Amino acid sequence: MNTVDEFDVVIVGAGISGAIMAEQLGAKGKRVLVLEAGSGTGDRFWSSGGANSKRDGYESYMDTFFTALAKIPNAPYPDNPNAPQPLVTDLEPITPNQPLTNGYFVQKGPLPFASTYTRAEGGTTLHWLGTCLRMLPEDFHIKTEFGRGLDWPINYHDLEKWYQVAEKNIGVSANADEQNYHQIDNPSVQIPYQDGYDYPMEKIPQSYLDRHMAKGLQGMTVNFDGKTYPIDVVSTPQGRNGMPRGSYRPVGAVGDPDLGQRCAGNSNCVPICPIQAKYNALKTLMQAQKTHHVEIRTQCVAYDLEVDPVTNHISKVHYKQYSDPNSSDHVCKAVRGKVVVLAAHAVENAKLMLASGVGNSSDQVGRNLMDHPTMLTWGLMPSPIGAFRGPGSTSGIPSLRGGDFRKNRAAFRIEIGNWGWSWPEGAPIGTVPDLIDQKNLFGKQLKDTIASVYPRMFRFGFLVEQLPDPNNRVTIDPNYRDQLGNYRPVIDYDVSDYSRAGMAAAKHVSDMIFQRLGVEGYTEYNPSDPGYVTYQGQGYTYNGAGHLVGTHIMGADSKTSVVNREQRSWDHPNLYLVGCGNMPTISTSNPTLTMAALTYWAADNVYKALADM
Amino acid sequence: MDWLDEFYHLSSALTDYKVVQLKGTGVGEEYLDVLSTIIPQDILSELFDCYRSLKVQNSSKPKEQLIRDAILCDAKLGPVARNIIKMWYLSIWYQMPDDWRQQFGKPNQGSPKYQDVQFVVSRNAYIQGLVWEALGSHPMGAKQPGYGTWSDKPTDKGSVISTAS
Repeated sequence: MNTVDEFDVVIVGAGISGAIMAEQLGAKGKRVLVLEAGSGTGDRFWSSGGANSKRDGYESYMDTFFTALAKIPNAPYPDNPNAPQPLVTDLEPITPNQPLTNGYFVQKGPLPFASTYTRAEGGTTLHWLGTCLRMLPEDFHIKTEFGRGLDWPINYHDLEKWYQVAEKNIGVSANADEQNYHQIDNPSVQIPYQDGYDYPMEKIPQSYLDRHMAKGLQGMTVNFDGKTYPIDVVSTPQGRNGMPRGSYRPVGAVGDPDLGQRCAGNSNCVPICPIQAKYNALKTLMQAQKTHHVEIRTQCVAYDLEVDPVTNHISKVHYKQYSDPNSSDHVCKAVRGKVVVLAAHAVENAKLMLASGVGNSSDQVGRNLMDHPTMLTWGLMPSPIGAFRGPGSTSGIPSLRGGDFRKNRAAFRIEIGNWGWSWPEGAPIGTVPDLIDQKNLFGKQLKDTIASVYPRMFRFGFLVEQLPDPNNRVTIDPNYRDQLGNYRPVIDYDVSDYSRAGMAAAKHVSDMIFQRLGVEGYTEYNPSDPGYVTYQGQGYTYNGAGHLVGTHIMGADSKTSVVNREQRSWDHPNLYLVGCGNMPTISTSNPTLTMAALTYWAADNVYKALADM
Repeated sequence: MDWLDEFYHLSSALTDYKVVQLKGTGVGEEYLDVLSTIIPQDILSELFDCYRSLKVQNSSKPKEQLIRDAILCDAKLGPVARNIIKMWYLSIWYQMPDDWRQQFGKPNQGSPKYQDVQFVVSRNAYIQGLVWEALGSHPMGAKQPGYGTWSDKPTDKGSVISTAS
């Protein structure tokens, strides 16, 4: 083959950041190719064709979900040995000097990295919860403010207009006059919103549990380092269709747009919204294709970026194309792009750069991997609060997201879970067998026990801030490869005392709330938990939040960061990186909204750069 | 011999759901199919016979106690009955306990549709699991109750699927 396909922009990855890039640039007439390592369902909602010509639609994910024993975040999305993905069921405590290799990740520890992502068209938005929080202004400069972590090369005001674009295009339901946190008596968390701005849809109704808790916690305060902080329950902004404002029209399911116009309470956002009332990147990919300038090639795994030694441009993207996920048969192909955008996810972007030996003059590629170590507490409310209903979380307690205590320990946001003990205990599927086999209940007793206990179950999730640490990192090792011969991520990971102190403070707050509400506590942290850590003699367990941040951070200095404020590689003039990998710190907001805002900005930067190419 | 009818009556006693409610799920035949593929015929027959004899017994003991005495604490029948309860509630077949398999299990002949390993019976079975209505909600991922229903007081009729028998 002598000819190599050439495009204005080649994007690696068809998740949310790749989709945004493709849609924005396609809409402006740029010719765009998106390479996706995993499989897809095209623009089909329903599967079509007969036994021999079956073409899977989104609905096929529901089949996989319903019949999966472990309904983990990746349960609906079939295992693909050519684009393997990490699973929470891979996790185990790590024995020193003995890497954990049973999953896709090679985990060197000392602690396991607990988060996962999805390698399929649409990416991890297929199973995200949809939380769309903005970062606090102080989150952009915690180094200056608290002497911790890193400052961003941009600030809140730089990003604000892009937040608005992202909120409109994702379709976020919330009320600006609540989300600015001006009602919270803690100036550190207050967020300035542009006058007159509001979200495209009204806030999603808060659950009965949220309202019960808001009432019970009214006026509650806690004290940290001699300062008093309020405990306020606030509705969470969500990328989920609610009641539209003005002329805005919600975007329904791809392939069956009458579905998903409004959240219908399937209580299943993670691992899959059955009707796509929750945003996923398939919607943006469909809009991208409607521009007629965007081509998406699934089952194409990028594995090498070739560099022109004269210009230092990325001259070609090499990829392996396969037709059957279960066979390693593939063909190697290459494409050219005037601009190359890596949008493959924080871990996969780093892996591809390390495998190609590009963009790493700072030696920061793969480093500063972060997550929100998520500590759960759980118990039984004194009266039924209607557990296992509605979106996974409709409110949180954001009033402790910021404050002077960040000099000493991690901040956290409290998420109020609507699905009882499904996360901490696997309820009800994981817990009812015990009632039958060990508690020896049957008939009326069994039915009555479930009816009286399960509707009272609730849990908190504490999303604890983790600082950038160059030793928490993704590397590659020729000894660890997947079926196609591509590298598996090798991960070094630990949770510092700064975050552990945050977990301790979180547990303290939880204990006080449980006392106040009369909650029967069932929280238990066991040394056998993969995420078990100790701090000042007490044990705590973290879980993964699915918030993979860092790995190619942006900065003001080419010696200490991978991309500049335009999200362009310091080393290669036509290489842009997008995704949560660009974020130098994670703070306390779920990162997707901020990442989407950054990506809209990056798309604008790429468009302007193309004018000179 | 109509085992399906016997299966529904035994299941009703084990779950405290009325036969008509169990039939309404539409998955009883599928469950019996699983059960009769994995559990040896003579044991199933003994289980149904045993329950039939309890029903006609003229005892002063409550029916629950009779079921405990004759079925649930029986080494052979108890684990089968518990698996029936779990199947109705959770739509999952759980592998029979090791000691039961050693003592009473017989390897399946040929290559049957179901093996004695843990599995979700079917997509529809998951949706029909009794646990969801027992806990006052709907199966996660199905039978969507509608926008905003999660905001209602949990006992409000209409906001949840009624458990009233």
